[in-house]
Amino acid sequence: MSVDNAYAVELKGVTFKRGARSIFNNVDIRIPRGKVTGIMGPSGCGKTTLLRLMGAQLRPASGEVWVAGQNLPTLSRSDLFDARKHMGVLFQSGALFTDLDVFENVAFPLRVHTQLPEEMIRDIVLMKLQAVGLRGAIELMPDELSGGMKRRVALARAIALDPQILMYDEPFVGQDPIAMGVLVRLIRLLNDALGITSIVVSHDLAETASIADYLYVVGDGQVLGQGTPQELMESDNPRIRQFMKGDPDGPVPFHFPAPDYRADLLGKR
Amino acid sequence: MSAAVTLAAPGVLSLSGVLDYRTGPVLRKQGRALIAASREPSLVLDCSAVELSSSVGLSLLLAFTRDGQAAGKAIEVRGMPHGMHEIAQVYGLGELLAGQ
Repeated sequence: MSVDNAYAVELKGVTFKRGARSIFNNVDIRIPRGKVTGIMGPSGCGKTTLLRLMGAQLRPASGEVWVAGQNLPTLSRSDLFDARKHMGVLFQSGALFTDLDVFENVAFPLRVHTQLPEEMIRDIVLMKLQAVGLRGAIELMPDELSGGMKRRVALARAIALDPQILMYDEPFVGQDPIAMGVLVRLIRLLNDALGITSIVVSHDLAETASIADYLYVVGDGQVLGQGTPQELMESDNPRIRQFMKGDPDGPVPFHFPAPDYRADLLGKR
Repeated sequence: MSAAVTLAAPGVLSLSGVLDYRTGPVLRKQGRALIAASREPSLVLDCSAVELSSSVGLSLLLAFTRDGQAAGKAIEVRGMPHGMHEIAQVYGLGELLAGQ
């Protein structure tokens, strides 16, 4: 059983590998229920992998992933299908269906996962699009939308089934300042008013720190630090300081492990 | 997790329990039948017994309102719990439902 109801998601001793390379090594992460939790770290450190582990799209080599009282890696395929209804994901790419209009994109999870009649599907789609300010765009196709609008339609789709947990994968990437501000406000509003647990994976320090109640900094296959944004800003841990202050090199190396540069270019002497 | 739409008094529909994707389809049918059978000139949608509502609960209120309007009834939504009211605000339905 999951030990504490105060947490919506708990990773316990999770190890994940790609081939021989260890992406996460015995990691513990607890996501407080009803809060916005940021998971930060440099690009390529495995943040999206963490989200996929929480959504059970990936299985850990070892460890437990508890969501809503269930250890996901032990669930059957059909139980996983049910468990995922409670989780919404805003993908980095938006991942809208390009051959469906805005209405049908948002209606899609309702059609797949519920038996609701068409009139109620319409109500709910219009409500979700109203919340993100795009009810007027129901007939548009994705290629008629700006990047910011696509992200908001994807958000409307992610909340279509009223998920208890909403995961955002790099929500701020490629957004202009206005779209960024809109997204930041929406994430906070949906979290607080709908009682959602929000997990924001991002390397955008300022935006994430501005909305997160709690932050994890990951890198080098482990949790480097955790705490409130203020606590992490004041941390004297050199690994955390490097990330929070944006230094290119430090305990987290700038270079991916590589053979000797001279030998690579000129051959061994 | 039980939920129901029942006739609490003539012209008063009581929504109770958990209003979500599982209970929504049946509740929609229950409400439609009760509204069709009612001969009262007005319709009260009483939400005071709602334990938990997702956006499905709001859609039910809208659907029952449409039924009532089509039958020429005056409609009033009563007793919406705080959480349900909060959700209604996010989806811009606060005034729309209060004004019925």
